[in-house]
Amino acid sequence: MARDQFNQKSLGIPLNTMVKETDKSEQARILMVGAGGIGCELLKNLVLVGFGEIHIVDLDTIDLSNLNRQFLFRHEHIKKSKALVAKEAAHKFNPNVKLEAHHANIKDRQFNVEWFKGFTMVFNALDNLDARRHVNKMCLAAEVPLIESGTTGFNGQVQVIKKGQTACYDCTTKETPKSFPVCTIRSTPSQPIHCIVWGKSYLLSEIFGASEDESPEMDHSKDTENGMYSSKEIEKLRQEAQALKQIKEAIGSDTFPQLLFNKVYKDDITRLRSMEEMWKTRRPPGPLDYETIIKEVPEIGMSKERILKDGQRIWNLQENTIVFKDSLERLSARLQTMKSSSNGSSAEPIITFDKDDDDTLDFVTASANLRSIIFGIETKSRFDIKQMAGNIIPAIATTNAIVADLFLTYIQVFLSPFAPERLLASDRIRAPNPDCEVCSVAQTRLLVDMSRATLNDLVEDFLRMELGYGDELSVKNEVGLLYDPEETENLSKKLSELGIKSDSFLTVTDEDEDNPRVNLVLNVRESSTELDDKPIKGLDISASSEAELPTSPIPRRKKPAPPVQPALTNGHANGKKEGSDPISSAAKKRTASEALDGDSPDATRKKHQPNGQGTTENDDLIIIEDDGAILIDD
Amino acid sequence: MDAVQEQAVSAPAVSALDTTVPAPEGISADEIALYDRQIRLWGVQAQEKIRNANILLITMKALSNEIAKNLVLAGIHSLTVVDHALVTEADLGAQFFITESDLGQNRAAAAAPQIRKLNPRVQVIVDTDNIMSKGAAFYGSFDIVIATDLQPDTLNIINTATRINHKPFYAAGVHGFYGFIFSDLIQHEYVVEREKSNRATMLQAETQTRSVVDVKTKKENGKSIEMVRKRELYSTWYLASDAASLPAEYLKSRRRLKAVTPILSCLRALWEFMTFQDGRLPSTSEDLKLFTVLATQKHKALGLPDETLRSETLRKFLGQVGSEIAPVTAVLGGQLAQDVINVLGSRQQPIQNMVVFNGDTMEAPMYPLHPDGALGEGLLPLSVGAESGAILNGGNLAMNGVVPIFQSEIVEV
Repeated sequence: MARDQFNQKSLGIPLNTMVKETDKSEQARILMVGAGGIGCELLKNLVLVGFGEIHIVDLDTIDLSNLNRQFLFRHEHIKKSKALVAKEAAHKFNPNVKLEAHHANIKDRQFNVEWFKGFTMVFNALDNLDARRHVNKMCLAAEVPLIESGTTGFNGQVQVIKKGQTACYDCTTKETPKSFPVCTIRSTPSQPIHCIVWGKSYLLSEIFGASEDESPEMDHSKDTENGMYSSKEIEKLRQEAQALKQIKEAIGSDTFPQLLFNKVYKDDITRLRSMEEMWKTRRPPGPLDYETIIKEVPEIGMSKERILKDGQRIWNLQENTIVFKDSLERLSARLQTMKSSSNGSSAEPIITFDKDDDDTLDFVTASANLRSIIFGIETKSRFDIKQMAGNIIPAIATTNAIVADLFLTYIQVFLSPFAPERLLASDRIRAPNPDCEVCSVAQTRLLVDMSRATLNDLVEDFLRMELGYGDELSVKNEVGLLYDPEETENLSKKLSELGIKSDSFLTVTDEDEDNPRVNLVLNVRESSTELDDKPIKGLDISASSEAELPTSPIPRRKKPAPPVQPALTNGHANGKKEGSDPISSAAKKRTASEALDGDSPDATRKKHQPNGQGTTENDDLIIIEDDGAILIDD
Repeated sequence: MDAVQEQAVSAPAVSALDTTVPAPEGISADEIALYDRQIRLWGVQAQEKIRNANILLITMKALSNEIAKNLVLAGIHSLTVVDHALVTEADLGAQFFITESDLGQNRAAAAAPQIRKLNPRVQVIVDTDNIMSKGAAFYGSFDIVIATDLQPDTLNIINTATRINHKPFYAAGVHGFYGFIFSDLIQHEYVVEREKSNRATMLQAETQTRSVVDVKTKKENGKSIEMVRKRELYSTWYLASDAASLPAEYLKSRRRLKAVTPILSCLRALWEFMTFQDGRLPSTSEDLKLFTVLATQKHKALGLPDETLRSETLRKFLGQVGSEIAPVTAVLGGQLAQDVINVLGSRQQPIQNMVVFNGDTMEAPMYPLHPDGALGEGLLPLSVGAESGAILNGGNLAMNGVVPIFQSEIVEV
C-alpha cells in the first residue's frame, strides 16, 4: 500500500477506500468525455488518485498543435486516437486503475441513458457547445452528477451539475457562434472579420464548394430589413453570383486567377461603387486591377516562397496578389485531381475551409486582405487570420492543469461519506432555472413495444388517460413536431414509422393556458418482450388516480423567474467574447472571510487565476472578466 | 483593482500586437506550429524569451513533476534537475514520470527520460548531487532557480546564492491539501498595455512593492493604448518565511485580517519547527503541543485574530504534513510554472511574494510579506536581511529570528 500512503493520509481512509474498492457495488466508476487539454490533466489526476474504473470517450485524433499542452501525446502519436493514446499513457501512472477507451462520438447511440447510469460521476472536458449540451442532457436523464469545465487562455472554470440541486448547463443561455448580415459581408464590410468571412464563406465556397447560403456565418434574416438592401439589389447580387459561376468554368486555366481577380475586385467593386447612395456616409471602395498590380511587382525579393514563409508579417498589396494567384492555382489543381479520381461516380468533389489546410488558409488570407484594401480596412497577418477564420482559442498547459485540479473539490463533495449534504448547504450553488427547458422538466423512461405502439397510444392512453393531460398538448422529437391538436395525422402511425427508436427523446409540452405542467421528457426504451396489455408503460412515473387534479404526477410550472444573464462560456461558443456570469460576479464579492465561515468544497463556478492575479492589494477573490480570446472584434 | 483592469485590456492586445511583428530570428515555422495555441496568448516575443531560458529545478517530487511538465511543454531552452534522493514506493503515489521499475534509482535520473519525451526540443540535464554541495557560482548559469519541497534553511541558503547572482528565485512546497509558492524576483519589470483612460498615469508607487516607472503611448485601431512599465521589488525567503509582516492595509483592517488564511500561520509554525528539529516533521503528541504553541505565536505575530486559528485547522494541517497528492501538486505546479512563464515574457503581473494554497477551500490567496524599508536590490548588502526584518517588525525576534546561516562556500564566491 506504500504507493497509496499519501492518498490515504490526505483523503482519509474511508474516502480513499471508496475511490478504489473494486469489489464493492459502490466502487467509483468515472466517465471522462474529451481527452484534450483538460482531459489529459484530469486523467492523470484521476489515475494517480486511483479511481477504480475510468472510461474515456473522444472521437478526435492528435494534432501537432495539441502537443504544447496535451502532455500524454507525443509527436509519433499525431493522427492517432486521443482516447486510445491517453489510455495507454495514463495506465503507466498507476497500473491498478482499470481504463477503458472509446474512440467514438459521445452522441453515438451506444452511449445511451442506461450506459450513463452506470457511472458514479461524469467529467466533461470538451471543446464544443453541442457535445456539452448533449452530455448535460444525458446526465440529467440518468441522474448522474456532471462536472463541467472549460478554459480560455489564462482563464478557466468548473461547474457542478446535479439534477434538481444545481443549475444545469442549459439553465443559462449560451452564446451561439457569431453571424453577420449578408449585406455587411457582400457590400459594406467595415472590419477585417467581414472580409475574412467573405473570403472563407463566400468566395472560397462559391468556387470550390457548396454555396454561401449554407454557411451559418451568413445571416439572411436582415436581407431586406433596411432600405439599402432592396430586392432589386439582391437580384443584382444573384446576377453577380451567376457571372462567377461562368468564370468557374475556367478553373485550371492560366487565365483563371486573373479572370477571378478582375471579376471580384474590379468589376463587382466598380458596380458596387456606382450605387452612390450607399457611399454617402461610408468610404467608397476602390477597385483593383490585376495587370496593374502584377506590373508593379519588383523583379527580385518577391518570390512566393519567401512570402508564404512569413505568416507573422502583414503582406502588402502585391504580396497578397501573388499569394492569391498561387493559392488559387494550388486549389484548382487539387480540385481537378479530385475530379479525375472520383470518375464522376459520387457527388462533385468540393474543397472547404480548414484552418490547418494551408492552401485554403493562404487563399482566404489573400482574398480577405485584398478586399480589406479595397474598403480601406486594416489588413491582417496569416497567423491572425488563421485564428479569426478558424475560431482558434488560445490554450496553455497550466490553466488546464489548474482547472483539472479544481475537480478535486467535487470528488470530495460527491464521494465523501461524511459530507453528503454539503452541496445543498451552500448558498453559492446556483439553483436550477425553473424555466430551463433541459433540467426543469419532468422525466421518465418509457418502455415501448415497438412492434405495435402508435402515437395515439402515447397521446391518448399514456399522456391523457394515465397522466391526466388535457386537450392542449404537443409532442416533439429532435426533428420537430409530431403531434398537437391541429397536427393529428400522425396519430395512427406507429412510433417506429415516425423515426422513433430506442434511446430517442420526446418532449411533451402542456399548452394549457391556466396552469400548465412543466415539460415532460420521455426517454424511449424498446421493450425486449411483447408487452401483454398496453404497448407503452412509464417506468418512473405512475398513473394518477384522477385526471386533472392538482396531484398530477407532473408538477405544474412555477411563476416565471427573473431573466437570467447569459452565462460565461469559456471555450463553449467557439471563442467568442464572454458574457458575465452571475455566479462569477457573486464570487467576486466573496471575501476569504466569508469563505472561512462558509462550508468549504462548495464553489460552483470559480474562475481561477493561475498566476495569483486573483488577489491584488485587497484580498477579495477577484475575477478577471476578460481574456485573450476575443476573436471577433466588434 | 488596478491590476485586474489592466489585465482585461492587455491580454487581448498581446495577440493583436505581438503577432504582427516578424518572428525573431531563430524561431522556426515548425516551432510556431507546435506552440501555436500559446503564442496566440502571449505573443511570439515572449515565446522567444521562453525559448532561451535555462531553468534550474531542485528536488524532483510530485510538485516538480508538474513544474517540469509545464515548462518543458512551453518550450524553454534547458531544464536542469537536481536531486540526490532515490525513488521510494511512496513516490509512485503522485509522481507520474516514474514507475515501479525505477524504485531505488536516483529520482532525477529516473524522471528525466519521460521529461525529455514531452518535448524533444528542450535539453534536460540531470544532476544527482546533493544541492547543499553546490557553491553560489553554480546558480549563476541559470535564468531562474526553482526549489521545491526543501528544508526552510536550505531555501535560505539557495536564496542567498540567487541574490548574490542576481537571479530570480522561486520556492514551493506541498503538504497534502496545503501548499505555498514564494518568489524573490529581487527587482522585476514588466509592461502592461491598457487603453488610455482620462486620468493620466503617474510615475509613482502603487503599493509598497510596485511602482510605475515609465509610460509610453501608441495608437492602435484608433484607440490610444498605454504601455505602462511597472517595477516590483522583492525581499528574501528568510524574511517572508517568518519575520516579515502583512502589508499596512491589512493591519489597518480587522475584516481583512480576519480573512487571512490560518494556513499561513501553520506554514510558518511548520518551518520553524523543522528548523529547530533537524528538519523532521511533527508527528508525536509532544510535537503537536509544540506546533500548537508555534502556530499560535505566528498567528499573533501576523496580527491575526485568535478566533481564526481553530484547533481543528491545526489538527487537519498536521494530518496532511509531508504528503503529496496529485490534484494539489497540479494546481501549485501550474501556478508556479505560469508565473515563471509570465516573468520570462515580462507581460503579466507576477506573484508578490507568497501564495498560500488551501485545498479545503480551493483558494490560493497571495500575500506580499515584506519588511519595512528598502526592498529589491536595496536588500542586497544584507542579503539575508535578518536585521532589517526582525528589528523593524519588532517583538518576536527571540522566538522567530533564525540566525542566518552563511555557508562558507557561498560567501567565499
